[in-house]
Amino acid sequence: MYTELHARSAFSFLEGTSLPEELAGVCAERGMAALAVLDRDGVYGAPRFYIAAKKMDIRPLIGAEVTSEEGWRYPLLVESRLGYQNLCHTITRMKLRALKGEGHVSATEVAEKTAGLICLTGGDEGPLAHALKHGGIENGMKCVRHLCELFGCDNVYIELQRHYNRAEETRNQAALEIARKFSLPLLATNGVCHTRPEHLELLDVFTCVRHHRSLATAGRLLARNAERHLKSAAEMEHLFADLPEALANTQTLAARLQFTLSDLGYQFPTYPVPDGKSQMHFLRQRTHEGMLSRYGAANEHARRQIEHELAVIERLDLPGYFLIVWDIVRFCQEHNILVQGRGSAANSAVCYALGITAVDPVGMGLLFERFLSGERGEWPDIDLDLPSGEQRELAIQYVYERYGQLGAAMTANVITYRGRSAAREIGKVFSFDPEVLNQLTKLVGAWEYKDVNDTLDRQFRDAGLDLQHPQIRKFLELCLKIQDLPRHLGQHSGGMVVCQGQLDSIVPLEPATMPGRVVVQWDKDDCADMGMVKVDLLGLGMMAVLEDSLKIIREDYGKEVDLSHLPANDPVVYETLQKADTVGMFQVESRAQMACLPRLHPTCFYDIVVQVAIIRPGPIVGKMVNPYLKRRQGREPVSCLHPSLEPVLERTLGVPLFQEQLLRIAMIAAGFTGGEAEELRRAFGFKRSEQRMKEVEKKLRQGMDKNGITGESQETIVRSITSFALYGFPESHAASFALLAYASAYLKCHYLAAFTAAMLNNQPMGFYQPTTILKDAQRHGLRVKPIDVTTSDWFCKLEKEGSGFAVRLGLRYVKGLRADIASEIVGQRAVRPFVSVEELKLRVPKIQKAELAVLAEIGALNFVGGHQGLHRRDALWQIERAARVPGPLFEITEQFRENTEELYETESGERVQAVAKEKCSRLIESPLLPMTVEERLVADFRGTGMTVGPHPMAYYRAELKARGIRCAMELANLSTGTHVRVAGGVIARQRPGTAKGFVFLSLEDETGIANAIITPQLFEHYHVVVVHQQFLLIEGQLQNQDNVVSVKVESVWPLAITRAETLSHDFH
Amino acid sequence: MAFASIHIPDFMVQAIVRSEIALRDRAVVIVDGTPPLWNVVAGNERALQAGIELGMAKSQAAQFNTVQIRHRSPAQEKVAHTALLDLGWSFSPRMEDTAPDTVVLDLAGLSALLGSDEHIAKKLAKCASDFGFVARIAVSEKIEAAILASRGFSGISFIASGEEAKRLASLPVRALLPSLEILETLERWGVDTCEKLAALPVLQLSERLGQEGVHLHKLARGDCSRSLVLAEPSLFFEEEMELEDAVEELESLSFLLGRLLDRLCERLVARSLATRVVRLQFELERSFDKDLQLFPPSNRQKSVSRQYEKLLTLPVPVRDSKLLLKLVRLRLQSDPPPAAIVKIILSAEPDKTRTVQGELFLPPSPEPEKLELTIARLGNLVGEANVGSPQLMDTHRPGEIRMKKFLQARAGSEISRKEKNKFIKKNHEESRIRKPTNGFRIFRPGLPARVEVRDGCPVRIFFRGMRGNVVTASGPWRTSGDWWQEEPWHQDEWDLEIDFAISVKRDKHISHAKQRGVYLVYYDVIHESWFFRGMYD
Repeated sequence: MYTELHARSAFSFLEGTSLPEELAGVCAERGMAALAVLDRDGVYGAPRFYIAAKKMDIRPLIGAEVTSEEGWRYPLLVESRLGYQNLCHTITRMKLRALKGEGHVSATEVAEKTAGLICLTGGDEGPLAHALKHGGIENGMKCVRHLCELFGCDNVYIELQRHYNRAEETRNQAALEIARKFSLPLLATNGVCHTRPEHLELLDVFTCVRHHRSLATAGRLLARNAERHLKSAAEMEHLFADLPEALANTQTLAARLQFTLSDLGYQFPTYPVPDGKSQMHFLRQRTHEGMLSRYGAANEHARRQIEHELAVIERLDLPGYFLIVWDIVRFCQEHNILVQGRGSAANSAVCYALGITAVDPVGMGLLFERFLSGERGEWPDIDLDLPSGEQRELAIQYVYERYGQLGAAMTANVITYRGRSAAREIGKVFSFDPEVLNQLTKLVGAWEYKDVNDTLDRQFRDAGLDLQHPQIRKFLELCLKIQDLPRHLGQHSGGMVVCQGQLDSIVPLEPATMPGRVVVQWDKDDCADMGMVKVDLLGLGMMAVLEDSLKIIREDYGKEVDLSHLPANDPVVYETLQKADTVGMFQVESRAQMACLPRLHPTCFYDIVVQVAIIRPGPIVGKMVNPYLKRRQGREPVSCLHPSLEPVLERTLGVPLFQEQLLRIAMIAAGFTGGEAEELRRAFGFKRSEQRMKEVEKKLRQGMDKNGITGESQETIVRSITSFALYGFPESHAASFALLAYASAYLKCHYLAAFTAAMLNNQPMGFYQPTTILKDAQRHGLRVKPIDVTTSDWFCKLEKEGSGFAVRLGLRYVKGLRADIASEIVGQRAVRPFVSVEELKLRVPKIQKAELAVLAEIGALNFVGGHQGLHRRDALWQIERAARVPGPLFEITEQFRENTEELYETESGERVQAVAKEKCSRLIESPLLPMTVEERLVADFRGTGMTVGPHPMAYYRAELKARGIRCAMELANLSTGTHVRVAGGVIARQRPGTAKGFVFLSLEDETGIANAIITPQLFEHYHVVVVHQQFLLIEGQLQNQDNVVSVKVESVWPLAITRAETLSHDFH
Repeated sequence: MAFASIHIPDFMVQAIVRSEIALRDRAVVIVDGTPPLWNVVAGNERALQAGIELGMAKSQAAQFNTVQIRHRSPAQEKVAHTALLDLGWSFSPRMEDTAPDTVVLDLAGLSALLGSDEHIAKKLAKCASDFGFVARIAVSEKIEAAILASRGFSGISFIASGEEAKRLASLPVRALLPSLEILETLERWGVDTCEKLAALPVLQLSERLGQEGVHLHKLARGDCSRSLVLAEPSLFFEEEMELEDAVEELESLSFLLGRLLDRLCERLVARSLATRVVRLQFELERSFDKDLQLFPPSNRQKSVSRQYEKLLTLPVPVRDSKLLLKLVRLRLQSDPPPAAIVKIILSAEPDKTRTVQGELFLPPSPEPEKLELTIARLGNLVGEANVGSPQLMDTHRPGEIRMKKFLQARAGSEISRKEKNKFIKKNHEESRIRKPTNGFRIFRPGLPARVEVRDGCPVRIFFRGMRGNVVTASGPWRTSGDWWQEEPWHQDEWDLEIDFAISVKRDKHISHAKQRGVYLVYYDVIHESWFFRGMYD
């Protein structure tokens, strides 16, 4: 019998081609009882290998190839938990001091951490091969002696590999001699890099990628043959027929290696509780305090729910986890960082009481088991939404600080090969022309919707690649094979793991590209699978907008708005939502949401929860949107799937919309426990497996049979569950988002100026371009002032205007203007105003001509020196002179600077201004003509991506009207079937995956937004115009149902309105 | 003193149209780029009127039914430019080669011969038309004004002295060919015509746009004076011949090549030059096979191309057309073009003639020209790829070599001596490190054999009527590769000690003897055959 003890997975990044699951599968196929995976400088694939091997009933042995200073690698196998910890420490040490993807260990470092590790002499990259190559058998002996000194003679195996290679066999003969000399055991391995011989091709491609070569030039870097695949015991016995002990030793050694990841020894950190009380006691105290403030003393229902939850938490020994999350939330609150728990945590009354979440699960009747269940035996998952940007970074750094650099880390994100990256890299390896490659990668469409024919095959044909050509066929074949294989390790956006003691004993740590951060070698799912607790600190743009809005309101309006105490049923908010006037509002601003809002007609907070959840692939694919809306409008009777389910589906009019409802359906209809129901959800979730789904479905049907739910009812329930589990929102999550949606709507309705400024300051985010947000705000009566270097800051801000406020655009919207230059301008301006452009250039010397040119072109320099009536071209004339570096003979500007400074020093007030103006007057006279309206539009869009002036369409309204073209506002007053012509700038193009190829356009004019629907056939016909033109004229039939207005397009024409380059948000 | 500027508008289009008469009076666009990214780079007025825009993709242009699409042809442009130079030189020896599409003639002193300036301009236009061009002619006392006017105005323009600014006022500033940076600035200023530029105060303009700004200002006012930069005949030696009927026979081809080579060598001799590199380009008759344009040239060999090219590199500069013809013939014999020839282009890279004589104390060696001829003859006999010194290739494929062309040592040069010493030193060091190895005689190509195999191991060999028993076997040593090519390889090598039974005829008696040897035998897995690769000494 034989056990393979030296295999690499694809997590050796470009040195192996098989995923750990595949290795485990083939190992089981070959009848091996164990397999050791040794990836390069890490244990990246270990959790996936462990999980897969467990399912196949294989012992997953762990090790790694650790790179030495000389470039060869120590092949190390883990014998015990201590060995694993030593391996993790060693790898962490080498990684943390090196650049990403590099690093090596010294012999001294290895010597410090050898306990529990077995060292093999390795194959081509091993220490023995290196020594023999550089000094013959004598050097080989020296090397093995050294390994024995490091690891102990009992822990060194002389490794023999046979890949039908003369040079290797010569090395084997030398190794045999050394083994005899030192009486060391022999060990046969195959140095596996791929599972099957045919995978050699992919290995060769990876080799080329790694060495930046093409197949034509890689030469002997490529594999000599395809023998490094996972061989069966019989094949290995044939190969090592002359050395049976080398094979027998594989069994002996495998038996010695007792460590697997089941013995990881992970412990969640203990929360330091004051007064020597238990963590549970402390949690109970904090929860009760919170309960009193959230529910008051008299809410018996809430008290019972919290007691129940606390009991579960105590039983599962999780108080530490809740306290740690509470601690992060408390830090955020103390530092005025908005924070809100999202996801299933909102199902917990304890989380609500602790202030982690903002949704009342008791009031909303949310299911606690969706969050935490004693049956699942896994850690709960709490995701915290934080304002994106610096605030979130503060929270992350707090966790690092609190648990130490080696006690907390971000989870990794394994970057895998996808359509574009695969085609690009393989194309390079095949020496394809770069232009062809560019064309090819562009063709991998950004549309979400993929029609049935939109396969890689078709894309290849579209790019002019002949699939009959053998190289092209091979290229396509490899592009498909490489999909989903790991390329390199990235950093997860917000997932953090923390550990009691040293995290680097559990998993090696690596530096992230971002300074001050470390990442673990496992992704968040692997961490969860290994029982590690993860806290997601997610950045949410809208949180930042809310926070900024509150700050602006506080500073400018002098008011304090508390988001947790907003008026509950503000009529203006609901009126706005009912009209779908929702540009910029969280989660309800998309075109699909806008099309639904008037029909749903929200009148209370729960309606917003439904609104947030209903426009999701789950309800859409499950065909639940229309039944719900019809029932809501009274056009269809309310009926439940089964009478017993009435309590569950009553609130959603008999239509399941939330994941919790599915769980409850399973509990009621099939008698599932809370834990079993959650298990069902997971079975149909993202990591769905056919077998698991079948098992759960069988159990579901059995349960329903038992409860007398059969026939059509049973089928409907099963169908609802299976189509819904994958894409549905949990009710708690929808409620958390609905809170934010309500808050954003409230702020927009009541503090439009502050909300708009905050929105503009946090771009890019949301659904629309800044210009759309700006134009929408202007239509709502907000005055927006242009960028002006004499008043604008980096961010947009409010300026008092009469009884209200206007928004002054910030310098951040000046394209190409660097933030530090803007800051310098603002700083210098604060010292004293600029008297001229030349002086600005002198006082901000690092400003470049291109930056000055953009500022001048958008009119931001018009008011420099307190001048009125200057135009943009005057400024453009000035900057050309100011930006030129004078030669040594021309020191006029220097003199000028000195003179003005002297004036400022000696005199003050009006005199200074007058003299400065006089001195500058000769400089500002320009012979240039002012810009025309069109030129200003072009300059505004080119320089800032928006214009504060009228919408481009407004300039042509009379002409458009004469051509029978209506404006967007008019459409709402027309009835269905009216033939209309509408024109506008495209602000969004969508082709959602759930819409069967239909394209949705949003056209904006000066009065509002018109929606258009294009059929797939029409889109095919007008593809170029629809995709590439900025302004469109459409003609078609109006559809006006329940105040949802859209035009069913029959014809499309490009419209020459302006040369200005407007932007749209496409292909969501 | 007047100057006439001749400008060929839409030069890229006209270069094509003059060789394809059918395209005259039609809307034509020129596309360029790398397939499949072809974009419109030029178009005549008709095409632009039809709605074509520069930068448009070829597929978009193809939607205009009335528009003819052609690919850009640098060769045709070169020919057209030569024709334009010829046109100018046929009028005056004092000519400036301003741009590929523009030349300027000095008309001074031509009136006695050709008449008034107006008359000359008309004659130029007529002559240009004979050359296949629609030209724009402008006559002015200022060279730059003439150039600008010819670029900006169609037909024949005369600019009277002092009227330059007025006449050029309506021209776009782009016509002045400013640098991109200045053009952007002028666009930002809203200065789009020469009139607007000319109106700007020059001092302030110089403060802002520097000397280039001042120059442009002068140009816009038609106030720029300079002298003519006379064109000199170039050191470009190329002869071209388009054939009405495609030529397939080498004899007919040799006759044509001989004529071209004679002409080429005459030109070289006239300039006291010789050549070391002759480039031979044939345009072949269009084949039905579709060009494969996805791979770089190295991978494109398998496809049938419309072009055939040979480079004749000579060890010493030569200008003997007879010798060159012999070498070209030999080269064509060993590697004939795959299809009939419709166009021949011969070009020679000029070099100084050979003046150095052989060293007195060196042993006599054949004349380099004769040696080259001999090597070419050998190449013709055994194939070009089989002449030279062998060089191992970077591949796992056993015994893979390529032949590198012999290099003639540069006699007496210091560099060659240094290189030689370096080579000797390197070899000496390598031989010190290298352990003694067995000699190995390689059979190239491998010799077929029949092999009996037992338990996967060769036991008996049948080879050239001999039978051999395998005494000891070592292997297999497996290599494979080139899986992405049409001809991958996969071989299992064996080192075999074989006893061959040999029958020896001595004095009418046949005696049997055994001959033992160690051989390298391999099994070609793809072709399922056994071969002898070689024998160990």
